Amino acid sequence: MTQTSQHPGPDTINAYIDGELPADERQYAQQHLLACHSCTLRVLSATQLKAATARAGHCFAPTPEVVARLTARLHAEPVAVARVHSFRPVAWGSLAAAVLLAVSLLGWNQLRHSNTLAAELLDQHLAVLSDSAAPQVISSDRHTVKPWFQGRLPFSFNLPEPDALPPDTILKGADLTYFDGQPAALLIFTVHKHQVTVLLSHQPNDLVLTGIPKARAGFTIHSATASHLHIIAVSDVNPAELDLLITALARAQG
Amino acid sequence: MPSIASRSAAFEDLALPLFPSLYNHAFWLVRNEAEAEDLVQEALTKALRAFDSFKPSTNFKAWIFRILRNTFFTSRTGIAASRTIFIEDHPDVLHTHDAGPSPEETLIRLDNQAAIVTALEQLQPLLREVLLLCDVEEMKYKDIALILDVPIGTVMSRISRARQALRELIQPEFRGNQ
Repeated sequence: MTQTSQHPGPDTINAYIDGELPADERQYAQQHLLACHSCTLRVLSATQLKAATARAGHCFAPTPEVVARLTARLHAEPVAVARVHSFRPVAWGSLAAAVLLAVSLLGWNQLRHSNTLAAELLDQHLAVLSDSAAPQVISSDRHTVKPWFQGRLPFSFNLPEPDALPPDTILKGADLTYFDGQPAALLIFTVHKHQVTVLLSHQPNDLVLTGIPKARAGFTIHSATASHLHIIAVSDVNPAELDLLITALARAQG
Repeated sequence: MPSIASRSAAFEDLALPLFPSLYNHAFWLVRNEAEAEDLVQEALTKALRAFDSFKPSTNFKAWIFRILRNTFFTSRTGIAASRTIFIEDHPDVLHTHDAGPSPEETLIRLDNQAAIVTALEQLQPLLREVLLLCDVEEMKYKDIALILDVPIGTVMSRISRARQALRELIQPEFRGNQ
């Protein structure tokens, strides 16, 4: 691409979302995207497909027994070559390593899961930002938004009175979505001119929230728990203002 | 020259964190738990024996994934899979047009993960492989090129084709759910 007026081809779009474009071409692409709605949608679509592929593609995890066997065989390998160790220390060493590995894998899996959830949150937010993804409920009236979820969610929640929201914060609409495989309420707010996506989910596992990165791709991700309700917000608004909104939502749960 | 024990320890430091990724990739290749474990095991054994040839300044993950892939292609299952035609060997049919669904149509609903898994299963193995390396393993094009032993341009065209094919496979699923 040599001019910002030319639409980038598929290879350029892919290299752009994969972070593989040279700096100058990336700058051209960004300038073009600022002015071209259709290409912005193509990039958004490609980004979502990439994130969805990443989640779907990582679906086969080895069991702890498989990891233990692989580790043990790996430990046994140099013994066969060098013939310097007796079996017993190797066996104990293998066992200890397998236990250590299993423990570290638990932590690794948690980290991986947290990153996946952060990507899922960001996807939800980017989809909301897209013009083509209008929410099911477009209303700033909490008495319209909350009842819409009756029968759609396995839990209920409260929305704060408009005057209990932070300054210049407006409820714009809502939608039903899925987060971490569970149904969740998706609320859309604006704070000044920034759009905020809030997910309300009811999950027994508090670990879901721990470890989720506080920022991703320039967006802030903050969360809180109130009355067993997970409140997670994504936006590019000032993080302090995002916290004010989360606090107002948490307070409304009583 | 490092001792066998320290060499083995260095190898393990690098290889152990990659077990889940290697196993996941192996499973996509062979589609069977026992075979995936055997494939990873064989690749690890080969990699350990060849560890002296690994250059510390290079990417270990790409190096061991290449060994995993080569191990697969020398297996019975892999030999059958390698008979797939490399379409990029025919550049006249490779030119990618944007004739597929529009971006608006392909905005992905996140609750359709099962459809994406199904579509990935239906992709040509060579196209699925490049997407797994790029999107799941988050590898750079140059590392993917090293693993697949192809030029970077081929990696780019394969990724384009893979994503286009994936969109086309996913689209009927989404339409059906609307």
